[in-house]
Amino acid sequence: MPEPVHEPAPGMISVRDIVKGVEATFVQIDETGTATAFNGHVDLGTGISTALSQIVAEELDLTLDQVQVVLGDTRLTPDQGPTIASETIQVAAHPLRRAAAQLRLFLIGRAAQMLNADAARLEVHAGVVRSETDEITYGALVAGLDVVMRLDPDVPVKDPSDYRIVGRRTGRIDLPDKVTGRFGYIQDVRVPGMLHGHVVRPPYAGRDSGPFIGHSLIGYDEAAVRDMPGFVAVVREADFLGVVAQTEHQARAIAEALPVHWRQPPNLPPMGDLRHAIKTFPSTPRVLDTTGDFDRAIADCGIRLERHYVWPYHEHGSIGPSCAVADWNGGAPILWSGTQNPHMLRADMAQLLGLPPEVIDVRRLQAAGCYGRNCADDVCGDALLMARAVGVPVRVQLTREQEHLWEPKGAAQLMEVSGGIAADGDIGAYRLDSWYPSNRGPNLALLLTGLITPEPRPADMGDRTIIPPYRIPNKHITVHDMAPIVRAAWMRGVSALPNTFAHESFVDELAFEAGEDPVAFRLRHLDDPRVRELVLRTAEEGGWAERTGPRMRREGRMAYGQGFAYATYVHGTFPGTAAASSAWVCDVAVDTETGEVTLSRVFVGQDQGLVINPDGVLAQIRGNVIQTASRTLREEVTFDSIAPLPKSWAGYPIQTFDEVPEIATMLVERPGDPALGVGESAAVPAAAAIANAIFDATGVRLREAPFTPEKIRSALAAQQGGVALPPPPDGAPGRLARLFGRGRLAAAFGAIGGALTLGAVSLPIHSVIPASRAPAAETFSAETIERGRQVFAAGDCTVCHTAPGGLPNTGGRAMETPFGTVYSTNLTADPETGLGNWSYAAFDRAMRHGISRDGKNLYPVFPYTAFAKIDEGDMMALYAYLQTLTPISAPTPQAAMLAPVNLRAVNAGWNLLFHDARPFSPDPARSDDWNRGRYLVEGAGHCSACHSPRNALGAEKGGAAALTGAMVDGWWAPPLAGAAAGARGWTRDTLYAYLRDGHAPGIASAAGPMVEVIHSAQGLPDADIAAMATYLATLAEPGPVAAPVSAPVATPPVGEGARLFRAACASCHEPGLADGFTAAQVPLAKSMVLRAPESGPLRTLLREGIAAPLDLPLRDMPSFEGQFSPAQTDELITWLRARYVPDLPAWSDTPAAEVAAGR
Amino acid sequence: MRQTVDTRLRFTLNGAEVSLDAAAERTLLDVLRSDFGLNGPKYGCGMAQCGACTVLVDGAPARSCVLRAARVSGRRVTTLEGLADPDTGALHPVQRAFIEMQGAQCGYCLNGMVMTAVALLAREPAPDRARIREALRDNLCRCGTHVEIIASVERASALIAQDKPNA
Repeated sequence: MPEPVHEPAPGMISVRDIVKGVEATFVQIDETGTATAFNGHVDLGTGISTALSQIVAEELDLTLDQVQVVLGDTRLTPDQGPTIASETIQVAAHPLRRAAAQLRLFLIGRAAQMLNADAARLEVHAGVVRSETDEITYGALVAGLDVVMRLDPDVPVKDPSDYRIVGRRTGRIDLPDKVTGRFGYIQDVRVPGMLHGHVVRPPYAGRDSGPFIGHSLIGYDEAAVRDMPGFVAVVREADFLGVVAQTEHQARAIAEALPVHWRQPPNLPPMGDLRHAIKTFPSTPRVLDTTGDFDRAIADCGIRLERHYVWPYHEHGSIGPSCAVADWNGGAPILWSGTQNPHMLRADMAQLLGLPPEVIDVRRLQAAGCYGRNCADDVCGDALLMARAVGVPVRVQLTREQEHLWEPKGAAQLMEVSGGIAADGDIGAYRLDSWYPSNRGPNLALLLTGLITPEPRPADMGDRTIIPPYRIPNKHITVHDMAPIVRAAWMRGVSALPNTFAHESFVDELAFEAGEDPVAFRLRHLDDPRVRELVLRTAEEGGWAERTGPRMRREGRMAYGQGFAYATYVHGTFPGTAAASSAWVCDVAVDTETGEVTLSRVFVGQDQGLVINPDGVLAQIRGNVIQTASRTLREEVTFDSIAPLPKSWAGYPIQTFDEVPEIATMLVERPGDPALGVGESAAVPAAAAIANAIFDATGVRLREAPFTPEKIRSALAAQQGGVALPPPPDGAPGRLARLFGRGRLAAAFGAIGGALTLGAVSLPIHSVIPASRAPAAETFSAETIERGRQVFAAGDCTVCHTAPGGLPNTGGRAMETPFGTVYSTNLTADPETGLGNWSYAAFDRAMRHGISRDGKNLYPVFPYTAFAKIDEGDMMALYAYLQTLTPISAPTPQAAMLAPVNLRAVNAGWNLLFHDARPFSPDPARSDDWNRGRYLVEGAGHCSACHSPRNALGAEKGGAAALTGAMVDGWWAPPLAGAAAGARGWTRDTLYAYLRDGHAPGIASAAGPMVEVIHSAQGLPDADIAAMATYLATLAEPGPVAAPVSAPVATPPVGEGARLFRAACASCHEPGLADGFTAAQVPLAKSMVLRAPESGPLRTLLREGIAAPLDLPLRDMPSFEGQFSPAQTDELITWLRARYVPDLPAWSDTPAAEVAAGR
Repeated sequence: MRQTVDTRLRFTLNGAEVSLDAAAERTLLDVLRSDFGLNGPKYGCGMAQCGACTVLVDGAPARSCVLRAARVSGRRVTTLEGLADPDTGALHPVQRAFIEMQGAQCGYCLNGMVMTAVALLAREPAPDRARIREALRDNLCRCGTHVEIIASVERASALIAQDKPNA
């Protein structure tokens, strides 16, 4: 970890100044000739440290490796405000440049003395000063000196025409370490003795105002987690709650296990209609420009338009969730942070801790790119609160979900524009009102702890680039300052991007109304020669095609168009300062059937004055293009009634490689003009340029971002006078609960395999077999016990007789039945609660006839119908093996039955009708192997308990229906017999592979309860597995094996389902690079959950994921519980079924299907 | 029949035989970062969505955030730290190419890009641009460095061809 520490050296010359009342060094040079520059801004991943190094090296005539840059440490660097608004090069770099020039002047003067030469004739290169005859290094000039100079603001700086480093392509100085893993990000800080904290956030994710903030934690149960491994402390301050543990893994496990009770937060205003939500929220108008008389002028305009434009909420979406390490350090805290604003953060932390700011030492390290305010500062408060509580350093790493839910969102924005064209053909009047529900994102720890009041806090950042850049005689421009509706803060192109979306779309609309070429129309209204040159050259070099209306070029279903937009990014307090100006020419292809927009090419012209590092500028332009295209075309934070929905990339897809447009650039060369910030400028015209291109392609005007396929299809349908697509299906949870509630599951006769369910489901109608101490395990031979172990394994007994998280074989697993819930029992030899008092006769009767020792009938969820086939020797051996299980007292929970049902008659009659208690008899015409397999499958293995459908009374169907597939416990147990099994490709070999390892390559991988069955069968010898495979292979009807679908037969509509699949599933199920070690092993077209008769099994799989036993060669799948809204889940499963199982009809149990069926 | 798993996990990490206790249920990412102090593999999403945690297991790309450590028992794990030549310290051609073509901004996703590119080029030494875009499709970059990353992979392909002119 690079920790910049600069020990006092034998020689040092430094240039300092007073910044905000504190003396701070800007540049210093030591006796080794190394210069160090100090800047209060930070590197957000844009390469600013490289650019600042170039500036200092240039002025001092050093090489880049002779310059170090220290960014953002509060001990060492001046407070230059937050690293926002592309200001580092434009503002914060100026004192560095002067200080470096001042140092050089001093060094040259000293060299002239020491070399006895004329200073004007000295030359410097790489820190060596040369006269015509002699030379001396900077280091030698510094050695032994200790000089401090006050920064001279008037010191002359180098003429740009003499630049040797600035303006040249320069590789990022941090890249070699990053590409080898040596670089230390904030996430890589490790402090000796450090513990790990994990926060537990309130349910009001992403909210920052209202009386419930800081007052919602009712309580938590520390005792429930105190004994967990690694536990150190639970830390609470009002609504702040965190767990400290020895390791990161332990801290998270404890935090997730901690029982916490919160008050229910109040609802958000309805966020579905964003325009309405923003406009009806309290706001205060601030009128910014009233040039001329808008009201009079608009009345005189022949052409008048009124439009509104909506910009959605966005995630900043740093790839690395925020992290911090804090050391309380006896009340003088050290804080390692990835903050964007070290000095502002220090003030916040001082308030949080009740300390003076100067005792807090904020050490800034690089983090993942943030593009605005993410959780980097919040997590510092978390770490400090926990470090103070435990007195040792604490590291806090937020989860992806915490980052997604809580980061202050890139703010939504509403723009309403009206304007018109006067009689002279020029824009005569222009009125814009902009609503920006955002502030500067108060530190979350301050809010949660109640140290700042949670009243709405408006900020004034909605006014960037709010004045249109065109000559318009009558204007009325207003920003409506307002507090956030949900937690929101600045994001790349802060308010200027949405304001420009409005300006540059509206001007395009006016040009169309005026029948003029959009670029020519703009140029007629532009006076600034620099801007005119940029617009003109970008249009020329970007291949702009003149037009006076949408060209609507078509090739089949594809429509092609080109758009233009231009903006100067204006930042800072209104009227603000201009950063670089950017113009876009972009090409789109619109699929008029699917509504997909492909951004195929973007040409960006940019005027940033002096270019410090051309590579850095180009990287910023391309980054802005790609990121903002993604924001414009696909990104949008949606909300449920309380909080934001996206919890990972699954619910918030961003740009991917396959969508990257061709990007060409043109930098206007202006080395004589001051360098302007380039971090955001190329983002600002993006949305309007794309909207204008879609208009050119289709004649359809999109005014609400993102421009999703659904919106395009809907707009195209409306344009053709057709009917818009139906609204997305209502995803109200109530509907799903109805569909998949108790009734349906119960009808599916939910039961996993063989539950020896001895719960009191009926009154005893059979004789009681008296309690009798079972024989001790030692009385049986080792062979018998081993044989019993194998029967036990074949029967997967442990699967049902172990409760989730419980001790093996002690029962307690809940089994849902149509008549209520019964629990599996304790199989250990405990006399009171287990089988310790069961004689063999009692055991044998229960196994073969379903009658408990106390005479009660067992519910047929316990598969005695199968176990009756077990031969005498195996049954005795099983009994013997059970005696080896260590007795553990574990009473069976009381069954929770529904309405009283007289099960006596039912069960007695049921057995009469359906139970064939005859033992297994071999088929002499078949091989021993086959007969052995059938014995295992039908007897102890009880495969039919899950794989055979059942009749209305819950009995397994036999004959041709046997083993033809059934729903079980929310899963689909697929067909083992008949044509369906044959089509899947089951043979003796593939069945053997599957039963042995849980995986038959290309055919199936076990999931759900079958994983446990396979795991249990690990205890069987290979010969028994082979025998079962031999038998099962004869059940599958030979036939053509269905080929996996590689390309869809019918392309399902492009929409939410496809997007969710790409973002959440594709990296494992359709990876761009095959044979990944964590990728799925079986194609989705072979997936049995997708081929199931209803969608329930897929929902179960998404909820539960797969965590297969580690000794099976299977792969895990994360749980997607809570990752999708109910509506998103429906979209995803409907799309998956259509895409991968085109030969089967759509599921009839999704809300969409219900709508289609008129239900 | 299988024996129950040895609770002591042993595997090869960047060429060295390593072992540790009580790691079975933890993710490989957690083990690599917490127990072995590696910084190359990064935590990004924990759900195999972004690729920042990518390592190679027996040469195949793996998302170490969803891979429980026990699954690499007896296998060969390579991280960003293990790409350079162990004898000479020379960087892997993919690393050289990423430096040359400036294939990173913040660089948090860089580990995944480099490891995925190494896996791709080991299988297909001369992929065209469309293939590179496809192969990297499941790796997310928020800075928008895609153009430079694609150029880096193309350059790496050329460097590999130079290094092995007769292969």
